[in-house]
Amino acid sequence: MGPGLGLAVALQVLALLASRGHGFPKPAGTDKAIHNRQLSVERPLEEQIAEAEADKNRKIAPTDDPDGLHQLDGTPLTAEDIVQKIAARIYEENDRGVFDKIVSKLLNLGLITESQAYTLEDEVAEVLQQLIANDAKNREKESEDFDYPASRADSDTKEKQQERMTPSKSDQDSFINGEVDDTLDNTWSSSNVLERRNELPSEDNFEDLQYFPNFYALLKSLNSETETKEKETLITIMKTLIDFVKMMVKYGTITPEEGVSYLENLDAMIAEQTKKKLENPSTKTRTKLTADKSSEEADSTKEEAAKMEKEYEFSKDSTKNEGQNAAGISEESRGKSEAYLEAIRKNIEWLKKHNKQGNKEDYDLSKLRDFIDQQADAYVDKGILDKEEADVIKRIYGSL
Amino acid sequence: MALSAEEGISFEYHRYAELREALVAVWLQCPAISRIYTVGRSAEGRELLVIEISDRPGEHEPGEPEFKYVGNMHGNEAVGRELLIFLAQYLCNEYQKGNDTIINLIHSTRIHIMPSLNPDGFEKAASQPGELKDWFVGRSNAQGIDLNRNFPDLDRIVYVNEKEGGPNNHLLKNMKKAVDQNPKLAPETKGVIHWIMDIPFVLSANLHGGDLVANYPYDETRTGSAHEYSSCPDDAIFQSLARSYSSFNPAMSDPNRPPCRKNDDDSSFVDGTTNGGAWYSVPGGMQDFNYLSSNCFEITVELSCEKFPPEETLKGYWEDNKNSLINYIEQIHRGVKGFVKDLQGNPIANATISVEGISHDVTSAKDGDYWRLLVPGNYKVTASAPGYLAITKKVAVPFSPAVVVDFELESLSERKEEEKEELMEWWKMMSETLNF
Repeated sequence: MGPGLGLAVALQVLALLASRGHGFPKPAGTDKAIHNRQLSVERPLEEQIAEAEADKNRKIAPTDDPDGLHQLDGTPLTAEDIVQKIAARIYEENDRGVFDKIVSKLLNLGLITESQAYTLEDEVAEVLQQLIANDAKNREKESEDFDYPASRADSDTKEKQQERMTPSKSDQDSFINGEVDDTLDNTWSSSNVLERRNELPSEDNFEDLQYFPNFYALLKSLNSETETKEKETLITIMKTLIDFVKMMVKYGTITPEEGVSYLENLDAMIAEQTKKKLENPSTKTRTKLTADKSSEEADSTKEEAAKMEKEYEFSKDSTKNEGQNAAGISEESRGKSEAYLEAIRKNIEWLKKHNKQGNKEDYDLSKLRDFIDQQADAYVDKGILDKEEADVIKRIYGSL
Repeated sequence: MALSAEEGISFEYHRYAELREALVAVWLQCPAISRIYTVGRSAEGRELLVIEISDRPGEHEPGEPEFKYVGNMHGNEAVGRELLIFLAQYLCNEYQKGNDTIINLIHSTRIHIMPSLNPDGFEKAASQPGELKDWFVGRSNAQGIDLNRNFPDLDRIVYVNEKEGGPNNHLLKNMKKAVDQNPKLAPETKGVIHWIMDIPFVLSANLHGGDLVANYPYDETRTGSAHEYSSCPDDAIFQSLARSYSSFNPAMSDPNRPPCRKNDDDSSFVDGTTNGGAWYSVPGGMQDFNYLSSNCFEITVELSCEKFPPEETLKGYWEDNKNSLINYIEQIHRGVKGFVKDLQGNPIANATISVEGISHDVTSAKDGDYWRLLVPGNYKVTASAPGYLAITKKVAVPFSPAVVVDFELESLSERKEEEKEELMEWWKMMSETLNF
């Protein structure tokens, strides 16, 4: 398998998981006692936020509030609750983007300043680490159901807790940036307890991966030096997925049996995706991935996808674009995006000018955007636009 | 790459992807007055793209005439294709700049622009190496069919009808199925035929290359000889239409212009125009097919001595042709036009509009609207429909704009009812007087 293959597969799995994750109910509540012990001093910042939001959102029913600014019983959240909820959300979705979304909303509402945003980031990081660590600790309690190996950390819980209460800034940063922190690694390594499926050698740190024979096979295939980084990333992702499932079980959202079956399904899906990828050695899956991600994803991803889609198109139908080579393609799709952007800009400028002259039709950007979106889709159906061109156009309009 | 001061138009050749991109860019810049659609697919699966420019794109507004430009049906005759792309960009730009002529034109006309009817041929021709493109490679479609010889030969039928009696318009009325099932027709040809049947086009031009002249019907000679002036019933208006194109193109209308090639016979050329048959006989062409199967009057414009000239010359071709292209569209607002309705105000579709002295009729569209192009003069115009009493009106037609002549037709059954009522009245009166 090629270097991009494994990563692509795992990313797709993760994306699917994240999107499916929305269907899973959120954790019912938190262990307030533990939390309060960590944040011993009530910060004015969090109180401000809680108060302001409670005021603003008093009329919103809990079910209507997508950002979860209320408890299930409708009482407004305290400062600690908010930090906890944000951390939990990031944990569930394994996506730092969640934090960014929430913070930018708070900033836009004028509820916090930038420096307060940074402070909030620190606090969320702290809670996030706590969640992971707690979970690792609790794993021992569920070892009957999962038969996970005992972890070294269990023996020095107290010490760990103290460590965690004053995490270093660098740890927080690295955690927020999506890297796995040391605490987690420690709990995974070492153990020789491998009762079943002992073809998996323990020095590979793959104990939990006994549930993922296909994933394991995939990892095994990544042996070259160039693929080491990818291998690491894949392992991290898988570990996070397992933690997620454990979290669900811990909070009683799913039964242990469901958890196990979910993991087994995951592995089956990996097998399927791997097989598909091998049969169809194009970049199609990559572009499917970008469609799954949020629209706030960096533009470079989409451009990359656009380039690849073009390459795929060219290899598929050489008669349509004779005399062009791969090198020219990415330039062209950039040029095309620019041409479209320029055209849209001219239209907006004209509309603004036209409107200024007091014409009866008001310049309604959202209506125009809807119209363009609709037309773009219709054009894709009729073969007038490529899907990725339509996406470029929608994205440009979306950013206006 | 030749860029120009004319903003937003870059004068270079567009391959299929670039053609599509250029049309999409026009649509993005002017979404309120444009719409892209496709008339079908070429033999190799490329879309036959059309961009429509009007104030209500996608809609036929009752009374608003429909116009089309079709380019590049011979794939190696490239100038028309490019001019039509430039034209689409130009119309959008000028509309936004507040150019009143263009704004009025777009508000009063539905303009359809098909830059290429033969995208497959163009790709072949464009792939030819070197500056000089071949005289033949890329001319026909991917199946080797010359699209401008592929249309059903209605001229032949008309010439027979002229001798033996029979209609000379709408000769395809019962042939839709035959067209669909005809294996000899190229997909491009079929696409265009459906297009012509679906939209009530009034005026059209078909852009070619290889010479410099505006050519009008009939293209096929009556006797079958190689060169023979073959006038159609609307010879007068066609000469005027052809001239309306050529006179705005300095090269085309230059009386001292030498022929494109030393031994060319351009003796039939007058003021940059020519009758088709007088120049050389063309059977199965799209131009005559329009005239004989529908209401649409089409001419063929040859834009350049060289079929596929160097890219650097494109800007010059645009400068030579842009006024012609606009002026020719404006010709659609000539003659008479109006609505044919019944006494209750309901539109009568497919009513016949005939003009005394011109043996060629047009028909009303589904909203009862019709347009009849005529040179200035005094005319008697008659509207008729099965089951209705025909009405004739006298009208004096100037050069432009079109004179509005509406018709309210009384149905035969209505007239019968009236007569019956009259009769009853008379009987009543008689019986009262004579005391029955």
